[in-house]
Parts: sequence; structure tokens; C-alpha cells
Amino acid sequence: MSELATRPSVRTAALSLGSIWPVAVVALGAGAAFFLFPYDLAFLTRIVIMMVFVLSFDLILGYAGIATLGHAAMYGCGAYAAGLVALHISPDPLLGLVFGALGGALIAWLSGLVLMRAHGMTLLMISIAVTMVLQEAASKARWLTGGADGLPGVSVSPIFGWFEFDFVGQVAFIYSVCVLVAVLVFCQLVVGSPFGLALKGIKGSPSRMRAIGTPVYRRKVTIYVLAGAIAGIAGALAAQVTGLVGIEVFNFSLSADVMVMLILGGAGRLYGAIIGTLIFMVVHHVAAAIDPFNWLFVIGAMLLVVVFALPQGLISLPDRLIRTFRRT
Amino acid sequence: MKLIKWTLCAALAAATGVWSDAAAADTIKVGVIATFSGPNAIWGKQFREAIDVYLAEHGDEIAGHKVEFIYKDVGGPNADASKAAAQELLVRDGVKYLAGFDFTPNTIAVAPLIKQAKVPAVIFNAGTSSINKQSDYFLRTSFTLWQISQPAGEWAAKNGAKKVVTAVSDYNPGIDAETAFSKAFEKNGGAIVEHIRMPLQTTDFAPFMQRIKNSGADAVFTFLPAGPATFAFTKAYNENGLKDAGIAFYGTGETDETTIDALGDQAIGLVTSYHYSDAHDSPLNQSFVAKLNELHPGSRANMASVGAYDGVHLIYKMIEAAGSDGAKALEAAKGLAWESPRGPVKIDPVSRHVVQNVYIRRVERGVDGHLVNREFATIPNVPDLGYEQ
Amino acid sequence: MSVLLSILVDGVAYGMILFMISVGLSITMGLMRVINLAHGGFALIGGAIAHVLTMFFGLSFIPASVLAVMLVVAAAAPMERLLYRHIYGFDELGQVLATVGIVFLMIATVNLFLGSTILPIRSPQLFAAPVDLGFRTLPFHRLVVIAAGILVLAGLWLLIEKTRFGIYLRAAVDNKNAAASLGINTARIYLVAFCLGAGLAALGGILGAELLPVEAYYPLRYMVLFLIVVAVGGLGSVLGSFCAALGLGILDTFGRYMLPDVGTIFFFLAIIMVLALRPNGLMGRAQ
Repeated sequence: MSELATRPSVRTAALSLGSIWPVAVVALGAGAAFFLFPYDLAFLTRIVIMMVFVLSFDLILGYAGIATLGHAAMYGCGAYAAGLVALHISPDPLLGLVFGALGGALIAWLSGLVLMRAHGMTLLMISIAVTMVLQEAASKARWLTGGADGLPGVSVSPIFGWFEFDFVGQVAFIYSVCVLVAVLVFCQLVVGSPFGLALKGIKGSPSRMRAIGTPVYRRKVTIYVLAGAIAGIAGALAAQVTGLVGIEVFNFSLSADVMVMLILGGAGRLYGAIIGTLIFMVVHHVAAAIDPFNWLFVIGAMLLVVVFALPQGLISLPDRLIRTFRRT
Repeated sequence: MKLIKWTLCAALAAATGVWSDAAAADTIKVGVIATFSGPNAIWGKQFREAIDVYLAEHGDEIAGHKVEFIYKDVGGPNADASKAAAQELLVRDGVKYLAGFDFTPNTIAVAPLIKQAKVPAVIFNAGTSSINKQSDYFLRTSFTLWQISQPAGEWAAKNGAKKVVTAVSDYNPGIDAETAFSKAFEKNGGAIVEHIRMPLQTTDFAPFMQRIKNSGADAVFTFLPAGPATFAFTKAYNENGLKDAGIAFYGTGETDETTIDALGDQAIGLVTSYHYSDAHDSPLNQSFVAKLNELHPGSRANMASVGAYDGVHLIYKMIEAAGSDGAKALEAAKGLAWESPRGPVKIDPVSRHVVQNVYIRRVERGVDGHLVNREFATIPNVPDLGYEQ
Repeated sequence: MSVLLSILVDGVAYGMILFMISVGLSITMGLMRVINLAHGGFALIGGAIAHVLTMFFGLSFIPASVLAVMLVVAAAAPMERLLYRHIYGFDELGQVLATVGIVFLMIATVNLFLGSTILPIRSPQLFAAPVDLGFRTLPFHRLVVIAAGILVLAGLWLLIEKTRFGIYLRAAVDNKNAAASLGINTARIYLVAFCLGAGLAALGGILGAELLPVEAYYPLRYMVLFLIVVAVGGLGSVLGSFCAALGLGILDTFGRYMLPDVGTIFFFLAIIMVLALRPNGLMGRAQ
């Protein structure tokens, strides 16, 4: 199915069946979750926001083959941008998202100019260092960010002046799902476009792409900025839903978690990002609820089992089962 | 839209207890939000063990209500997780009281929720003064940096220190401690020769020790987050010869009971200003410590334990006075005074923070071979001095 | 002048600790090219065993350390046979996931038995004594770490450059199939190299514990630090790691002396600069 969607002959990729079904599944799944787990909406909202974040990482790692460990930089800048806009300029949530995207894109562009020239370990390390610098700056700029205590009092007005964020978290959930669906559609368009195909080519062989005249560096910076904008949106969503931005948005562990969730689900497919996030967070949540002290055993074992049994990520499970079934 | 409204009503009904059946009406649930996993899991562990002690001593019933505790792990400073946990507790479990709260961002994140739901939240640790201004429903049974650092400054000035250098971790609690200490110390005639702010992640303190030595001060006042930083700082204080050079050490929570034995002999003699020591000399504290040891052998009571123990006491008193009526419970809590393992305490009606004695202590080797903080001077009835700052 | 000397002395002492805690990683990740995020896990287990031996069994520091390193090596061998031998063949992302899984299990195990507080290793009184260098004092254990660092560097250099094992190892890493067809038992070479890396990690964990105390979350808390030393040094070069560790130690110490307020920002900006100018690290070979 995905091969079909990515073949260049399918020009209107976004309209083809193969591109629509993940969006439909996500929307249906979110709808079902809404009614099946009405008391867990706050947690479900966190999953949805994380899905947006992991999707943005899939664009750079899965499609363009750019492995970084500093994706929290863009998430954090988006969160602070949205928080500051809500506090000082306007409480409109959609404006907050726009500024979140701008914040994420700006830092992605600035750091991307350096990062996209690097490879391998160097790339990983510079991306970590960028995030560390930002975290330290956020911690020092107490007058602006509140420092380690966090930036409190981020409250947003009703969406479109109508849907107010409610106590149970219904509006927040629906709002986040709408953003997720919009981001998913956007990612599909990007991935299916000639630009997306060029990225895949760069992932396969940068030198070959350079030989056929693709400006590799510029393409990489572009996708990094796009992914940064989406990560910024995820951060902005988190800031609006929680009402507080802490310097933990720049934590190294957040960047590492995002990478783990993506690889777990299967990098290079958009629904791999969705499934990886869902499984990781649900397993974590349930295991932590059962035994708050020792849930790390469960996560560690899960990662090992997946990587040994399904090297392509959870997303390859159906293929695997079908193949095993046919063989017998 | 209709369906949304329907579930909204259902959820709100559950939240306000309209649908609770008769048997459940007698059970009042308390949600405890804290860190039970990750590098900071010690907070949740201490909270939970102290709650166990209180339950063992007082039972799980008060004034005809059965009290049930529900624990939620947030894995460290994580405002998103904390708010989601509070929402889940309030909406699904229908808790009438929230408790726990180790980190400031985790605490502030629930402020809008408790305001809306009129649910009192008792803070067992998070020590930033401004938290209690975020919502009238916050109550606190721990301490604030101002509360312990200002008495430290006064005491140091009156007991021989002339020139002090402050060395604190460069984040909000460190700055609070630095400001409070300096203000009090200078007001009482001392001189601060230098303010050193150390990066939060640092564990190599040798460069700062050299600067402290060079500054010509006769004492250093410090605040660092408990854990690797305090371990390395106190080690560096000894190994770089500050102790031998006669530079006195004034600290706060650096000699916390859960890490003090890891420091070893080099900790002996360190002077700190704090509100609780498990060696506090009172029958109530002795029975508290004994019970904790009986239930959880090898555990030591520290400020988190006593914060939780008193916090649960406060919740019991509120339940006794008002059952599950949050607003009424809050009024009942204001001005409440009781005898705590740390000494006499009282809830200040305005700041809703605990008024308590602050003790000046010195590390000694106790009779059982463990290192303890021996109290030798008391500054009585100190309120949250940072609330009006 | 004395400030500069102090920076140099403190920086070298700190840098040696950085070298000791990351030298194991420059073997497994640098030479063997496996993204071994579980490196800190071996240091943690080494430190935890040393903690148990010195605190509960009353062993003195040196025998406890030797025993702890040996036990870690003994545990690393079956792990290599069962897990890592397959992990070598994974792509980079698979290696990340697998080694993160392993380190989670290690942390959870230590946390289960010993809790999440600091696990002190009892060292001789002598270690804490200040040694007078004339213009300033230095704790004795820093001198021990400096000596150990130089010994380890010299030993590794001899092993990799001058012995048959070193030649085989470099051959096996460069081209596994060619090496195997020449009759080199690559599986055994990898096993020995991996155990060496794990043993050095444990040694570094124990010796570095004076500064970076061992606790259950040690591997995650200091992961960035290990990775930075190896990356700045350059993959495949132990000498590079050594220079990077000393350089970073001096740089960080300089920041703390001269620019305490922006020390951390200065440190990471400097790393970005170095890596942007030298993408393969100080002494790494082009990838």
C-alpha cells in the first residue's frame, strides 16, 4: 500500500485511498477512545500530543535519514513561544499554535544551518548540545521563563471563541486530535510530493542525489525546518493543555523517548510513529500504574523483544504474521 | 455535540459525586501525586512510607469516613503528567483531597484544577513561596527556602560569622536561599563577600572551592539539590582543605537523612539550618521513627517523611471537620495547630503554610552508628518569610 | 598565573575522570562501532558491586574494585554471546533500541535491589586527604585517577597497536569477512574486545564515583557526558578520547572559574564549535 502511495505516477497522492486510510483510522480510533475512556482524556491528550511530536521526528529520521537526539529543542521553543504569546499578547489558542510553529521553525532553521552539514555521531552530539544550551538559557532567563519553577498561568481563550477548555479535558482532547489529523494530512502531502521523494533519495544515497542535481543540503534544511515547525506545534499544544511550561521541555530524555517511540513503531512510515507512540505510552502508563517502582523492567523487556523479533518495528508485525502463516 | 454534552454531564456528575452509591459515600479518596520512579523516586518512597506510618497509628477511618489513598507516579518534574494525573484522580476516582507534590512545576500545574473543583491540595514538599498564591486551595506542610535560609543568616551573624560567601545552585530554589540568607545576614551586621552561582548539573566543585578559599570569607553558605550535587559538594569541601582552613559550613538540606550516611565521616561537623531531623528529641518523633523502622526496615525519616506525615494529619483533621466539602475543609485547616514529630506547628491562615521551629543542627555520629543531625539551637515559630516578598 | 595553573590542574584532574568513565565506550562504540548506550550500565553494575562489597562485606577498596571489575567482565561475556553478537548486525536504529532496552533492565535491576539513592563506595581514608602541590592542594584520589588514566591509555595503546590481538581487532572491525577468511576468529576477537570495554566501564564507574556518584540512574544521567567525550575525540581513536577528555575537562573548568554564570552555555557552545569545524572529532577517521 505504501509503495503505491509513493510511486511518482500517483500524482494526487493525498487523494488516493492509501493515503487517506491512516487519517481515517486515527480519527476513528480517537473517536472510539473518546467514548470508551471518558475518564482518561487527560492521558489520551498527552498521547495525541506526543504523536504529533513523534510524527515530526519521523519526517527527519524516517524519511530523510537524519538521526538527531535534540528534537526537544524545537518542542521546547514551541512551548515557550505559545506560553509567552498567551501570557503577553493574546490568549487565542490558534494564534498560540502559529507562534509555536514559528518558534520551532526558527530554532530548527538556525541550528539546522550547522546541523545539516554534520553526520552520524557528530550530528547526534551537536543536536544534544543545542538543546542543552537552550535549556540552560531558559533556566537562566528567569525574568522571561520563570526558570526552574516553570512559566505559570498560561491560559487560553475558547477555541474560535466558542469551545472553552473544560475540566474533564474533552475540548482539549478533541482540539489535539484535530491538530493531529491536520498534521498527519500535511505529512502525507509532504511525503508524497516530489520533495518527499527527493528526501527518500537523500536517505538512500546523498551522493547519488547530488550527482543528479538535487541540492541535498538545502533539502535537508527545509525538511528540518518543517519538522521543527510541527514539533513546535506539539510543544505549543502541551503548553496550552497543561497551562504551564517547565524547563523540562528541553530534557534530553524527551528527545531520547521520541527516538525510542519512533523506532519501536517503525521509522519511515507515518503510522509507525502513531503506533509506536501509542504502544510505548500505554504500556508505560499501565505498567507504572501496576508497579510504580519497577515498570522499567517491562519497558526494557518490550524494547528488546521488539528489536529482536521485529527489526522493522511494530508496524511490520502484520507482514511478519502473514509470512509465518503462509510458510506453515 | 449532543453526545459530548451527555458525556460531559456524566463525567461531571461522577466528579461531584452525584452518582456515588451509598457505600462509597463513606469512603473519601485522597490522590497522592508524586515521583515514584526515575532518579527522584526517593520522594514518592518517603511520602508513601510516612503515610503507611500514619495509617498504622491512626487507622484508616476518621469521623465515620473511610480514607483511601490513591498513588499516581509522574516520574520527576513533569507538569504535563502532573496535571493529567490530577485530572484523572478528580474525574475518574472522584478524590476529595489531593496531596504529595514534590516539584514546583508539578504543583503549579494543578492550581487551576483545584480552584475549579474546590479540592484542597496539601503540598508535602515543593518549597517555592509563590505556589500558595496560585490558588487558595493550596496548603503546605513542608518548608520554603526563605523559611529556613533567613534564620540561618540571622543565626550565623549572631554567632561569630563576619564574612560569608554564598555558593548556591543556579536555579530558583538556590536563588531564593541566596537572597534570603544574604538579606538576613547583612541586616544583622555581616558582610557577604561574594555570591557564587554554580551550574545545576555540575558535580566537580573543585574550582568553586578554590574561589571560596580565595574570597577570604570565614564561612560558606550553600544550597544544592539533594543527590549527587550535595554528595560531591560536601566531599569537595573537605578534600580541598576548606575545613582545615577554618572556613565554616552553613547549609540547609545538604545533610538529608537519606543521603547523609553516603557522605561518611567527612560530613561530621557540618552545620545546617532546617526544620526536621530524625534525631529530634521528642517522644512523638521517637515513636514516629520507631514505627517507620518497624514497617519499613532500613528506611530513615527525613523532611519528606515528616511533610507527608503532617500532611496526612492535616487531611484527617479537615475530613473530621468538613467531610468531603473542600471549601469548608479549607476554612477548618486555617489556624490549625498540632504537635508534629518536628515540634509544634500551625497552619498560617493567610499563607496556608506551616509555621514551625527552625533548628540549627550539627552532624554527629549517633548511638546506633548512623550519622544524625543533632539540633543545638532553635528559632521558634518561623512563618513563610518569602510569602510577602 | 596561579589561577591559570589551578585551572590546568583541576581541569586535568576532572578530564582524567571523564576519560576513565568513557574509555570503555571508546572501545565498544569507537573501535567496535556498536552504538552502545548501555555503556553506563556496566559502570553502574561495577559501582554497585563495589558498593555492596565495601559496605556490606567489609572488603577494602582495592580488592573490592578488582573483584567488581572481574564480575562485570564475567557477566559481560554471556551477554555478548546472547545479545550483543546479534546487535552488531542491526542497523544503527536497532542498536539504539536494543541497548536502551538493556540499560533499562540494568537500571531496574539495581533499583530493585539497592534503591535509587546514592551507593557510596568506601575508599581508604588516604583517598580523601589533601595533597599539597606547593601552590594549592589536590585530593589524593585525583592523583590516583590521573595515574590510572595514564596507565589505561598506555596499556590500550600497547594492546591495540603492538599486539596480535590489536591487529586482529582492527582487521575484524575494518572488514569482518576478509578477516574471517584469513583465519581470524572474529567472534572471539569481538568477545574479548567487548569484555574489555565492559571491564573498563566498570573500572571507570568505580574510580569516577568520587565525582560522579553511582546510583541507579547513573547510566542515563551521564550518558550525554560519555557520548560527548567519545564524539569529540573521534570514533575509533582511544588517544582521541583521551585528548578530548582532557580538553573538555580543562574547558569546563575554565568556564567555571572565569564565567561561572554562563559556564554550561559556554561549554556546549564550544562543543558545537569544535564538532562543526572537525566533523570527525579530534582524531577520528573519516566515516
